[in-house]
Amino acid sequence: MVSETLTHMDCRNYAPVDAAKGICHRTKQLVVADDHRCDAFTKLPKCKHCEHYLAGKELYTGICRAVKDTPMTYPDLAAVTCDWFQWNDRKPQK
Amino acid sequence: MGKKLSQVLEESGIPLNFQAGGTASGEVANREITREPGERAKKLRDLYFQTLSSATNEFPYWYTRKYRELDNEVPVVRRALALKTAFSHLTPVIYPGELLVMGKASYYRGSFPMPWLSEGYYMAREDELYQAALARGSASADEVSKFGAGGGNVTRDFGKVISIAGKFGMRREEVPAMLKVAREWVNKSVDDLGHKYEQMVPGYDIKEAIMRSVVCMFDSGYTLPQGREVINYYYPLQYGFDGLMAIAREKKADVAGKPGGDGMTGMNRLYNYEAVIHVLEGIQAWILNYAKEARRLESIEENPQQKREYGEIVECLDWIAHHQPRTFREALQLSWIIHIAVLNEDAISGLSPGRLGQVLSPWFEQDIESGGITEREVIELLECMRVKFTCIDCFASMGVVGGVLSGNTFNNLSIGGLTPDGKPACNRLETLILEASISCMTTQPTLTVLYDDKLPEDFLLKAIECVKTGTGYPAFVNNRVAVEFLMNHYRPEGMTLDEARSFAIGGCLETSPCSWMPLTLNGKKSMIPGGSGQPTSVGVHFISLPKILELTLFDGMDHRTGIRVFPAHEKKLDTFEELFNQVKAYFAKSVEVLSLTNNIQHDIWRKNNMAVFNSVLKPDCLEKGHLINELGYRYNATHNVEICAAINLVNSLAALKKIVYEDKIHSLDEMREAIRANFGFKNASEVGSFSLADQEKHDKDDRFDRIHHLCLTAPKYGNDDPYVDSILREWENWFCTMCYDFESLNARKYYSCQISVSTHAPMGAATLASPDGRLSGTTFADGSMSAYPGTDRKGPYALFTSATCWDHSKSQNSQMNFKVHPTAVRGVAGSRKLLELTRAYLRNGGFHIQYNVVDSRVLKDAQARPDQYRDLLVRVAGFTQYWVEIGKPIQDEVIARTEYERV
Repeated sequence: MVSETLTHMDCRNYAPVDAAKGICHRTKQLVVADDHRCDAFTKLPKCKHCEHYLAGKELYTGICRAVKDTPMTYPDLAAVTCDWFQWNDRKPQK
Repeated sequence: MGKKLSQVLEESGIPLNFQAGGTASGEVANREITREPGERAKKLRDLYFQTLSSATNEFPYWYTRKYRELDNEVPVVRRALALKTAFSHLTPVIYPGELLVMGKASYYRGSFPMPWLSEGYYMAREDELYQAALARGSASADEVSKFGAGGGNVTRDFGKVISIAGKFGMRREEVPAMLKVAREWVNKSVDDLGHKYEQMVPGYDIKEAIMRSVVCMFDSGYTLPQGREVINYYYPLQYGFDGLMAIAREKKADVAGKPGGDGMTGMNRLYNYEAVIHVLEGIQAWILNYAKEARRLESIEENPQQKREYGEIVECLDWIAHHQPRTFREALQLSWIIHIAVLNEDAISGLSPGRLGQVLSPWFEQDIESGGITEREVIELLECMRVKFTCIDCFASMGVVGGVLSGNTFNNLSIGGLTPDGKPACNRLETLILEASISCMTTQPTLTVLYDDKLPEDFLLKAIECVKTGTGYPAFVNNRVAVEFLMNHYRPEGMTLDEARSFAIGGCLETSPCSWMPLTLNGKKSMIPGGSGQPTSVGVHFISLPKILELTLFDGMDHRTGIRVFPAHEKKLDTFEELFNQVKAYFAKSVEVLSLTNNIQHDIWRKNNMAVFNSVLKPDCLEKGHLINELGYRYNATHNVEICAAINLVNSLAALKKIVYEDKIHSLDEMREAIRANFGFKNASEVGSFSLADQEKHDKDDRFDRIHHLCLTAPKYGNDDPYVDSILREWENWFCTMCYDFESLNARKYYSCQISVSTHAPMGAATLASPDGRLSGTTFADGSMSAYPGTDRKGPYALFTSATCWDHSKSQNSQMNFKVHPTAVRGVAGSRKLLELTRAYLRNGGFHIQYNVVDSRVLKDAQARPDQYRDLLVRVAGFTQYWVEIGKPIQDEVIARTEYERV
C-alpha cells in the first residue's frame, strides 16, 4: 500500500511544470513537487483516490476495477478526465 | 602533454587560421541587436529556462489500454479509437499568464514515449530503471533546487526523478507502469516487427554492419516516422471540427460498401472515414477538457485580470472546439492545437508551420481593420506562440534526440516567397512575426525567408535585423531553385508552376510540396498555402561519406570496430578513377540495402500506426477517403537519400589525387598506415575536444608529420579552386542522379537530400583520420556546402563560387552555414552588406545560406562558464539551439567554424 503522504503534486491547485516542480495557482509561485501540502490543499483526483483502484503487489502499480477486464493502472495517474473516477472517501478532501 | 595540432602547424609555418578577412578586434563584441519581449512573454520564457524536459506515461497508458481492448478491430479504426481515448484523457494544465494554452503533455515542456513505435531503447534499461524508481526514496533539497542548471536536459537521476534516454525526467511513481505498458509492445512495435521482416532482405547482414560501424545512423521507420514536412491547418480553419466531422459522416455514407472501381483499397474508405471521426472527437474532447479547466480556474481566481483572461480562454476554446475561428487569436490558438495534436499522434521531428503568416493573414487583416486587435497585441500573441513552440520536445532515443537532433524539433516557419501568380507573398503579419522573433528570441519556431528578387527591400532588411540578433534565423532559401526542384521532381504527380510557388520549408531546410487552399472568412475569399506532401524525413538517412571512403581504402573493413562492412572489393585502386568509382560502388550498395530495409519499416508503420489526423489535414485525403498509407496525399514521392560530410569526402579525394596519384609523393599503403596511426595523434575522445586545432600528438612520434602536412596543405574546397571543385561537381552530378534508381514503398523514386543536422559529430567520432588531414574522432564539416573549418582562405565570394559549381536544383536542398563577427555587419551599412552577400550567393544558384553572428570568444567563454549563458542561442545546422543544450562535439565544431571578420 502506498503511504498517504500527500504533497503539492497531489493538489488540484498545482500546475506541474516538470517532473520536479510546479506552479501553485493560489500563490503563483514555483513549488517543489514533493514538498508538504499547504493549508489551501485541495485533493487532486488520482487513481489512488478512486474507489475502483486496487493496489497491486508491485510498488506503484494496481488495477482499475471500473471495467470488467480490470486493466493495470497506477496510483499517481491523474483522473481529472476519467469518467469512472469516484472518490474512495466519497468527498474531495481539503 | 603532447603538442597541439595548432602548435605543430605554426612551427611548420602554416598557422591554422579560423578567422578570415582580418582579425577580430581586441575586445569581445556582443551582438548589435538585443531586445526584450513584453512582460508576459518574458515571464513565460523565464519559466521555460527553469523547466526540465519531462515525460509522462499518461498518453501511452490510455492508448495502450484501449488498443488492447480492441483486439481484432480493423487496424485503422483500432488505432483511431486508441488515439481518441488517449487525447480525451490528457490532464489539462494551464499556467498563469498564458494567452495561448494547451501543450503536448501535462508538463510545460512535456512529452511521452510511444512504445508502439519503439520500446527497445528504454526496455533495454528496464531493470535498471525499475530499480532506480524503487530506490529513489528521499529527495535532497539541494538536488531538487538545481532547477534548469545546464539547460533543461535531465541527464541523471535526482530526487524522485528518473532520467530516461539521457534527456527526459520522469516521476519515479510512473516508471514501473511505463515499463509495464512498454512490455506489452515487445514484438509488436514497429521497431520489433520491422526488424523481423527487414531481416528477410538479401544482404541484411550488410545493413547490420552499416549501422554498427556508423556508416548510417538512423532508421526513420520506427524512430521518427513522420516529419520534415509542412503541416496544413486549412481544413479545421475553414470548416471547424464540427464541419469536418459532418463532411466525414457524409462521405462515410457515400462510400459504405462501395469499392469505387478500386478492388484493392476502395472498400477501406469506409473505415478511414470512421477513423477520422473518432480522432476528431478525441481532439475535440481534449480541447473541451482545457475549456473546463479554464472555467474552474476562473472560478477560483482572485486577481481580476487573470480571472478575465481565464474567461477569455474558456470562450475561445469552447468556440474553436466546434467552429471556424472568428478572430486572429482564435485562429492562432486553433493552429497551435492542430500542431501539437499532430505531434501527439506520432513521433515527429520537423513539423513546420509553413507560411503561417499567410495562413492567418485573413483574420489579422479583418481584426486590424475592425479595431478588434492592435499590432502590439498581435506581437504579444506571437511572442507567446514562440514560447509555446520552444516548449515542444520529442521523445526518442538518445542517439536520435541527442546525436541527430541536438534536442531540437525543427518547427520552421517560412516567410516571403511568391503568390500563385508570381507576386511577392510577404505581408504585414510576417513583418510582425519578424518583430516578435527579434524581441522574443527562442529556438522555435525557426524562420526561413523564401528569397526572391521581387521581395521588397524593407522586408528583407527587417529579416537581416533579425539575423543580427544572433539567433541564426531567418535562414535564406532560394525560391527559384526550390521551385525548379519541385517542378522537376513532383511533375509526375501533377505539380504545376502555380502550385510549386506555394512550397515552404519542412524541418531544417527541406523543400516540401504544398498547395493553395481556398479559404472563406465572412464571405471574403483568399488562397492560403499549406502542406500537401508526405514526410520528407523518411528514407536512407544519413550516410557518412568519409566513412565510405575509409571503407574503400581498407577494402570494406571497419578498423575501429573490427567489423567487415562490405564484401572486399579486392581492387588495387591504382588510379584515381578506380578509387572514386569504388567509393560510388560502396555508396550505392549502402543505398540499395538501406532503401529496402527502410521500405519494410515504413510499411509496417503504415499498416498499424498510420497517421489519421495528419492525413485528414492534407489534401486530398478527405476528398479521396484514403489516408497516408493508401497514398491519399497529393504528393507521395518524398523518400530521399541523405548524406553527411560531402566536403570532407571531396577534400580527401583531392588530397589523394594530388599526393598519391599525381605527385606520387606517398603510396596508398603509406596513406593507409598514416590514417590508422591517426597521423601520430591521440584520438579526439582521449583529448576531450572534437575540434581539429585542439588535437594532441603522441610524444616523439614524428613518423607521419610530412604526410600529414601534405594532407593539410592539399587543395581544399571553398577557395574557387577548380582542382577540388571539379571533384565536388562530379560527385553531385552522380549522387543526384543515382538516387532516382531506387524506389520507395510508395513506388516513387528517391531523390537526394544534403543536410547533416548534427550527425557530423557522432559520425565524425566513429571515423578514423581522413586524407584531408582531419584527425580521428573529430567532427566533420557542418552543413553540406560549408567549408571545413579554417580551410576557406580566399573570402566569401571564393567560397560561393566553389559552392555553386553544381546545380542545386537537382537536390532537395544544400546547406551553407556562415559565421560572421558582429562588427563586420554593424549598423545600417553592415545590414546592407549582409543582404548583398546573401543576394550574391542566391543569385549565383546557391540554395540556402544562414548566419551565426557571433564573436567566437563568447562561445569559448560560454563553454567554460555555461551557468552564465542559459539564454545564449547559436545556429547549428538548419536550426537554432540553446548553447547549454548542445553536446560538446557540436559546440567545438561551432567554435571552430571560420569566422569572417569582414564581408
